[in-house]
Amino acid sequence: MVTARRAEPRLHLRLYIAGNAPNSLLAVANAKSLCEEHFAERHVLEIVDLLEQPLRALADAIIVTPTLLKLAPLPAYRVIGNLNDRKQVLLTLSTNDE
Amino acid sequence: MSSELLSSGALERRLAEADATIAALLSGQIDAVIDPRTSTPLLLSAAQSALRESEERYRHIVETTHEGIWTLDADTVVTFVNQRLADLMGYAPDEMVGQSVFEFFPEFFSAPGAPGVPHLQRGHAEEEAVAVSRRDGSKMWALIKTRPICDTNGKYVGILAMMTDWTRHRDAEEALRRNEEQYRQIVETTTDGIVKVDASACIVFTNRRFAEMLGYEPNDIIGMHISEFSSEDAPPGAPAALLSHRPGEKNAFDTSYRRCDGTLVSVNIASVGLFDEGGLCCGSLAVVRDVTNQRRLQSQLMVSDRMASVGTLAAGVAHEINNPLTALIGNLEYINECMASTAGDLKDVYATGRSMRATIPEPLQDAIEAAQRIRFIVHDLKMFSRAPVDVKGSAVDVIAIMESSLRMAWNEIRHRAQLVKEFSPVAFVDASEARLGQVFLNLIMNAAQAIPEGHADENHIRVGIEQTGARVTIAVHDTGAGIPPENIGRVFDAFFTTKAVGIGTGLGLAICHRIVTDIGGELTVESLEGRGTTFCVSLPASECLALDAPTGVALRGGTGRRGRVLIVDDEEILLRLLSRSLASDHDVVALSSGKDALALCAKGERFDMILCDLMMPEMTGMDLCSELARVAPEQADRMVFMTGGAFTARARAFLDASEHPCVEKPFERATVLAILERHILRSPSGDGPA
Ligand SMILES: Nc1ncnc2c1ncn2[C@@H]1O[C@H](COP(=O)(O)OP(=O)(O)O)[C@@H](O)[C@H]1O
Ligand SMILES: [Mg+2]
Repeated sequence: MVTARRAEPRLHLRLYIAGNAPNSLLAVANAKSLCEEHFAERHVLEIVDLLEQPLRALADAIIVTPTLLKLAPLPAYRVIGNLNDRKQVLLTLSTNDE
Repeated sequence: MSSELLSSGALERRLAEADATIAALLSGQIDAVIDPRTSTPLLLSAAQSALRESEERYRHIVETTHEGIWTLDADTVVTFVNQRLADLMGYAPDEMVGQSVFEFFPEFFSAPGAPGVPHLQRGHAEEEAVAVSRRDGSKMWALIKTRPICDTNGKYVGILAMMTDWTRHRDAEEALRRNEEQYRQIVETTTDGIVKVDASACIVFTNRRFAEMLGYEPNDIIGMHISEFSSEDAPPGAPAALLSHRPGEKNAFDTSYRRCDGTLVSVNIASVGLFDEGGLCCGSLAVVRDVTNQRRLQSQLMVSDRMASVGTLAAGVAHEINNPLTALIGNLEYINECMASTAGDLKDVYATGRSMRATIPEPLQDAIEAAQRIRFIVHDLKMFSRAPVDVKGSAVDVIAIMESSLRMAWNEIRHRAQLVKEFSPVAFVDASEARLGQVFLNLIMNAAQAIPEGHADENHIRVGIEQTGARVTIAVHDTGAGIPPENIGRVFDAFFTTKAVGIGTGLGLAICHRIVTDIGGELTVESLEGRGTTFCVSLPASECLALDAPTGVALRGGTGRRGRVLIVDDEEILLRLLSRSLASDHDVVALSSGKDALALCAKGERFDMILCDLMMPEMTGMDLCSELARVAPEQADRMVFMTGGAFTARARAFLDASEHPCVEKPFERATVLAILERHILRSPSGDGPA
């Protein structure tokens, strides 16, 4: 892996979904294509299916799916829903303190 | 946790998230709701995912949030409240549903200037902190957020509202304000200056005291760069020190600042670095203490300690001078008598079989030796009484200074102990002669005072000087009373003394310690009670190898040419002596006043050298020099000064700045002759100056 330049911190995302439920599928597709388009080499997208790993919901205090967590760079953020409003989602993911 | 006081930023974010969760629910974007107790996802059917059909689930979500939530229909009738909101307001949920919202929140929806319903109808979200009344009449500060709900066609169908108990935040804000006020008062009334600089060392905040310290108005000083106050006396790097912090690290250092009016203020600074969230230094905060008076006091103490030692020693020194002086006078009288009788009656001399040659050399030799001893003593005294301006260090000879100090203290030592000197050759050290002498004298005096009088043969004071690597160590050991363990940690404290009033001041070691550490050295002590004590001074060796070799070399290869010398001194005996000793090899003109000398040169007389006393009552050597520079510049260059060692500040500054040689009285004939030879060599060849 090429060392990431300091000016472009890596984006770390975690998406909580519920199996093949329609909004979950939409959210996965949206998240993937957003990342590909805008954060090509510099992102980690982790997908957590709560039907398979229900206990993981506790760690991040998830109350609904789909929920997308932006973990890094700070500030942390959570986006709720199927991520169809891509402009808004992109804006949220792009805010960073550094 | 709801009882946890969130920062307003975090609260803001949580409200936004709750808001987003509800918005997502309303627009059917949610697949599953997680039961927070079991962490099981409860899947919502497609039909359920719309608000109306999933009211149970929906309630489940909203009940888990910490915010009060309620909805209104288009006629501002309450259609839903969660348990949290009902609790906050002091009602049961059922008591609120179906009522007009104005019953509960008149302040928010209909107070003058309140956003009101029409605003929401136009699709704007609102947020405001207001005081609301609970059912029991008590007041509560609440933060209320509202957003319009629209149906799929975009038609306004009601309001979604959230409420958070803001009371604690208000209290916290209030407490914060009071706290700030308190801090502000502390900052403004403290006697220390407080200053905050940004990453480029520009001042962004100061209290009044800091501004006063530097002679500015608080407002004028903001924005100035810290280097604008730096003085030449400050140790290099002091401004930088203010910014070279690592997180969590404190710096403390001494420096001096130049005030608005140009005067200096000595300060002690304690600073911490300020860092942003990314860990980058964004400035520093410093507490600045004015230590000018403290410093002044300190140097006064140093002088008075020295004066005290000189005072103690004065009697001994007088004694030291009286011995050789008696020898000097006695021998000279004897020689004088011999000469008189010789001149009167040569026969008498022959008759007694004594010749002048046989009689005079020995007393003469003794007189010269006695005079040399007086010269040493006076040199020692001069060293210890030099004004504190002489603190500039130069490469000095530790052994010579120790010899001086021992001679000074000899009268104190000899009745108490035998003196053992163990000196190996050592490098020079960078120090001031006067101060180092003060250190040695103090250590020797302490050693002597630790030994009772009268048993000199049983006790000794051993002084060792040696070099190990790049350090010169001086050890002063005595076989005296020693220092009890409970006192050993305090001997360097100022005013700690175990001696009687009038003998001990308790300042000696404190000052020694300061002097030694100031020049990068260390002063340590070891002692065994009842056995004796050793004080050890360790100093860094100077990088200078040696001082210039004395000028006597030129004499041997002397030019043999006669030079013309003008001697100016108000002391007639010196004038006569110099004329006598130079006249055999050179042409000498001797004058006792600077004015006469000036007049002579103005008339066109020229000399190879003008040997002139620096301090004279009417016209000083310095005045003569500057006058000559006007009327005969070439002659001004040929001036050589003589001094007796008592300098005015002006004289010292003059000598420091000038290129003229200066010889200290008493001097040897050879020294003067060597300088004269150099001057003659500089003259155009031939018969010297016209
Ligand atoms: N060589 C020594 N032997 C025993 N005690 C000493 C010696 N040098 C210093 N001290 C102790 O340290 C104290 C402080 O010394 P100093 O600072 O020179 O002050 P002072 O000599 O005026 O008392 C002395 O009073 C004495 O108790
Ligand atoms: Mg002492």
